[in-house]
Amino acid sequence: MAVRPASVARPAPVAGRPFALGRAVEREGVFSWLMLVPGILFLLAFVAYPFFYGIFLSLQERRVASAGTFVGLANFAALAQDPVFWQVTRNTFVYTILATLVKMVGGLAMALVINQQFRGRNLARAFLLLPFIVPTVLSTVAWMWILDPTFSVINWSLLHSGLVKENFSWLGNKTLAMVSIIGVNTWRGLPFYGITLLAGLQTISPDLYEAAAIDGASVTQRFRHITLPVLKPVLIIVTMFSVIFTFSDFQLPYVLTHGGPANATHLFATHAFDVGMSAGVLGMGAAEALAMLPALAILIVGLTLYLRRE
Amino acid sequence: MTTRRDFLTVSLVATGAALAPRLAGAAGKATTKSLTTVRESSFIKAFDDYFVKTLAPEYEKLTGIKVGYEAVSVGGMLTRLTTMAETKSGPEIVHTGINWPHLFDQSLVDVSDLAGEVGRKLGGWHEQVQEVVVVNKKWKALPWGNIGQLEVYRTDWFKEVGVTKFPETWEDLLAAGRLLKKKGHPFGFEIGHGFGDNHGWMYPLLWSYGGREVDRDGKTVLIDSSETAKAVDFCRRFYQETMLEDVLGWTDVNNNKAFLGEQISCTNNASSILVVAKRDFPEIAKVTDHALNPNGPKGRYHVLNAQGLGIMTYAPDQAAAKAFLRWLYDDKQMSRWLTAGDAYYAPFLHGYDNHPMWNAEPRYMPYKESLKTSRPHAWPGPVGHAASENVAKYVLVDMFAKACRGDATKDVIATAAAQLKQIYKAK
Repeated sequence: MAVRPASVARPAPVAGRPFALGRAVEREGVFSWLMLVPGILFLLAFVAYPFFYGIFLSLQERRVASAGTFVGLANFAALAQDPVFWQVTRNTFVYTILATLVKMVGGLAMALVINQQFRGRNLARAFLLLPFIVPTVLSTVAWMWILDPTFSVINWSLLHSGLVKENFSWLGNKTLAMVSIIGVNTWRGLPFYGITLLAGLQTISPDLYEAAAIDGASVTQRFRHITLPVLKPVLIIVTMFSVIFTFSDFQLPYVLTHGGPANATHLFATHAFDVGMSAGVLGMGAAEALAMLPALAILIVGLTLYLRRE
Repeated sequence: MTTRRDFLTVSLVATGAALAPRLAGAAGKATTKSLTTVRESSFIKAFDDYFVKTLAPEYEKLTGIKVGYEAVSVGGMLTRLTTMAETKSGPEIVHTGINWPHLFDQSLVDVSDLAGEVGRKLGGWHEQVQEVVVVNKKWKALPWGNIGQLEVYRTDWFKEVGVTKFPETWEDLLAAGRLLKKKGHPFGFEIGHGFGDNHGWMYPLLWSYGGREVDRDGKTVLIDSSETAKAVDFCRRFYQETMLEDVLGWTDVNNNKAFLGEQISCTNNASSILVVAKRDFPEIAKVTDHALNPNGPKGRYHVLNAQGLGIMTYAPDQAAAKAFLRWLYDDKQMSRWLTAGDAYYAPFLHGYDNHPMWNAEPRYMPYKESLKTSRPHAWPGPVGHAASENVAKYVLVDMFAKACRGDATKDVIATAAAQLKQIYKAK
């Protein structure tokens, strides 16, 4: 279909004719801005304003419901002296790195499996999305029961199969508590990886695999030399999103452990919330929330540059 | 919708419709026709129901003012209050607890006149509650009752090990706990990051051994003391010899669930366990009782958690809000409301010291008795912002928790001391 140039499509304004709003908005330039403005306003109101307000707060000694005083970087300096902050930092990195790695490997495996032809494949794909669809708070409450020392189905299975002699304290032991929240995060985030990578897999032409097979390439070689290189951009993008979501995770650890036992599972978001909203130290809470920024910014810039180079 | 012009027209009309009521409202102030209260949902459903289904309609019939009720989930009121105070919008009449009148001092209306009236009519206020609701000599909330944190235990299992009366001291409780754990009935006291059941017994334990976090001046950190060390050592033994490992990760729901699941024989909680047991587990209710927290070498203590109502300064008609509170806190209403609450709230008015609500269930009586030995969180330090920060950062809870998992006493106290010095800006 031939497309006429815009100048041909629109009649020129008639001299002396009164200005008409309708005609003005018909112009591409005006109309495109009108379409953009709601989005821009939304971003300004719900992203830019809170972000800059957060920076503003972080530079203040500001208690809830009272006026603040400018203290420069004093809140950040105080955080640097706080051993709990460093524990929270360690926790956040351990949580993010381990959960992301498990999700990446598991998600890739999931994608490879559901990319195969088998009976009930579509149903399986739909079910695999369930953890991602169920509201986090709801599924986390279910996990509270699953990890409960007495009522835990995991403990029950382990005990009755004779694999262990006593119940595990999934949320009471500091190492197991971290393992537990990583496990639940993985359960929730795996479908995101799986479905996104599946979309990537489906772009790979079967001809490539056939050619490689004719040339005698093994399954491992085909995966290494065809699947992985083609999937790499998707993998990087999905990892970037996953790291952002995991790094700033709040609902899951807050509901499951509230940072306990003894801060063993406190992450940046949960601790910043406690400091800002429960303790009412808004300046310090904002500073702690912003402490997430450098690590995430470096990661995002690094991955973006890598993608552009590729 | 066929054209871009149609789309824009519809969008503009919709935006205009959305803004119209606000613009109309700004044009002139209408007479107060409604008030809204926000409260954390009570564990006692009948208490909330009585307010919504009986008291609010009565007030509407009397004055024509509709009183709305917004429920906030348990543990969420502080966050809601913070949002309301920061945005200066929301319900006019708000629920306060712990030390919140001090935190939101600048956002709460002075209700000293009402407090004076209510106190005069109902025998005067208990003195200790004034520490948490009176800020700079002004009442910032009207307390209706205390949620006590006491010992909740299984009488049948205690009897099985020869303990017929609840132990008087922490050491005796430890001895009983050892026997009970051997019998398969461990204790379960929350040592995790919940919002109440942890501090509910840890502050009393610290205080009863003579330990204090910070002095009355709010500048001298006192945690590093031999008394604290004794409390920490006791707590470690108490945990290791009587409890489940899991308590280190518990939040407030866990001990209720464990008690009603017959997993534990003793915990520290409000009376909600017995209330729920009576409703859903009558056999457990028959063998459940309450006791005051045990004595330590330096006395017996409980935490003060005064529940009250305050008026936000942004309320468009503060006089109407005050009139409602005056009506609500009148004996004719308050007495019925407290009775509906099944003695869950121990009132701070001497006129209610022998209220008939206490006669219905003698097992709730310790909650009334506990008022005499109740102290605010972080006592004897000042009840203000630093106390909130201290509580929200779980300084005391984590000190005990780390000791329980095996860390050295001096290390956990040193960590707590460093945190407290930072929080209280002490040298």
